[in-house]
Amino acid sequence: MAGTRNERDRAIKTYRAITVLNDRRLTMLIGGSALLALSLLGGCVTSTVQQVREAATGIAEGESLVVLGRRSRPATGETELDFVTCIANGVSRGSGSIAVIQEEEFRDALFPWFEPRTAPLHTRELPEILAQPVLASRLEEIGLRYMVWVEGHTQRTDASGSLTCSITTAGAGCFGFLTWDNDSSYEAIVWDIKSGALAGRISSDAMGTSYMPAIVVPIPLIARVQASACSSLAKQLKQFLATDT
Amino acid sequence: MMHPLPLLTPRRAHRRWHVSVLLMCGLLGGCVGASVEVPATFPVPLVEKVPLTVGWHVDEALANYVHSESLEAQGQWEIILGPSQTTMFGNLATGLFQDFRWVDDPLVANPGLSAVFHPMIEELQFSTPEQTRSDYFEVWIRYQIKMYDNQGALLGEWPLTAYGKANEQNYGMSSDEPALQQAALAACRDAMAFFTIQFHSVPVVKEWLAREMRGIGL
Repeated sequence: MAGTRNERDRAIKTYRAITVLNDRRLTMLIGGSALLALSLLGGCVTSTVQQVREAATGIAEGESLVVLGRRSRPATGETELDFVTCIANGVSRGSGSIAVIQEEEFRDALFPWFEPRTAPLHTRELPEILAQPVLASRLEEIGLRYMVWVEGHTQRTDASGSLTCSITTAGAGCFGFLTWDNDSSYEAIVWDIKSGALAGRISSDAMGTSYMPAIVVPIPLIARVQASACSSLAKQLKQFLATDT
Repeated sequence: MMHPLPLLTPRRAHRRWHVSVLLMCGLLGGCVGASVEVPATFPVPLVEKVPLTVGWHVDEALANYVHSESLEAQGQWEIILGPSQTTMFGNLATGLFQDFRWVDDPLVANPGLSAVFHPMIEELQFSTPEQTRSDYFEVWIRYQIKMYDNQGALLGEWPLTAYGKANEQNYGMSSDEPALQQAALAACRDAMAFFTIQFHSVPVVKEWLAREMRGIGL
């Protein structure tokens, strides 16, 4: 009899422990999901894309393009390396993708003609460069049709609020509210290597406000301004190059 | 009875100060400087080759060149440039001339060569974003290029200034080392680019080339 009671008591304890554990897990799960959902919501981003066509475009099989960031002096407002990579990846992936030569690979293959001190600043300088047989031959070898120069950058335009974090013997936590605005402004200038002329310009502007409320735990609601400018610009670039007029 | 407080001797205080500074530096990561080595990864210039065989001499001072500098409140900084210089000038010579070979001494007779080039670093300077209140690490290198004939006589020399910069924002949280390394590498590439582009317009080179071309009937 005593053995049966002990077994029943043990079973009840185990059941209670499982119930408590499940309740805790459920609370954690709900809390975690809420945090994740809030983080994924992000801040709002507004983006605008504008295009100016100077000449007809089109890209044949075996032709490629290169996306280059302007690295000329003076050293202010240089385009971020990851933005240039993002554009190159955006153009080379998805529907209507175009073959893209990586920037570093291109600069090395055509060294020293596209270094910060030697890179052409205007299309009128192209014919002189392309007149060199070794250079023309290398460009043909890599199948380069378009050169896309990216200028611009993302900057923080405004920030306000305050957030305080503290650690006590009872635990740690943050309280406050932060908000900041980011503004992205980029321009892609497309040179047609075949004609040695300017094919067009595409500009992408994006702005957004990020928030970080904190009641014990800070919850960042980030406006992905640069990512938005990148995806808009890459999408428009693909359309611009694939369309004839 | 109360125990007397342990006496804080000047030596002990000094040691404590050192420990505190090191601890703060470790925690902040801001006053430890950086030590970077320029990688020996340089492209070969894509130009019409000069149809001559020349010699290049990389001396001990260039091959072991290290720039060390202590910056106030920013710690010790070091740029190890030397080990990359042989590859750098080797690639430059490969792209620019029909053929080249390394020579041990430019001041003696080196038969079979049209000229011998001897690069040296006169000065290296760099700046950190904290100094310029910008996002950029910048590196300036001033080379001096000496040119000898194949009998060891000096034909002439000219300066070669190079500049490289790198945005620390491109390299995440621990940006000091990769950004400084990139700036130094960019300066070396700039030196190669400028040497290649301006080579034919350097007065001493122009004269030498005209003479050599006449010699081989070109």
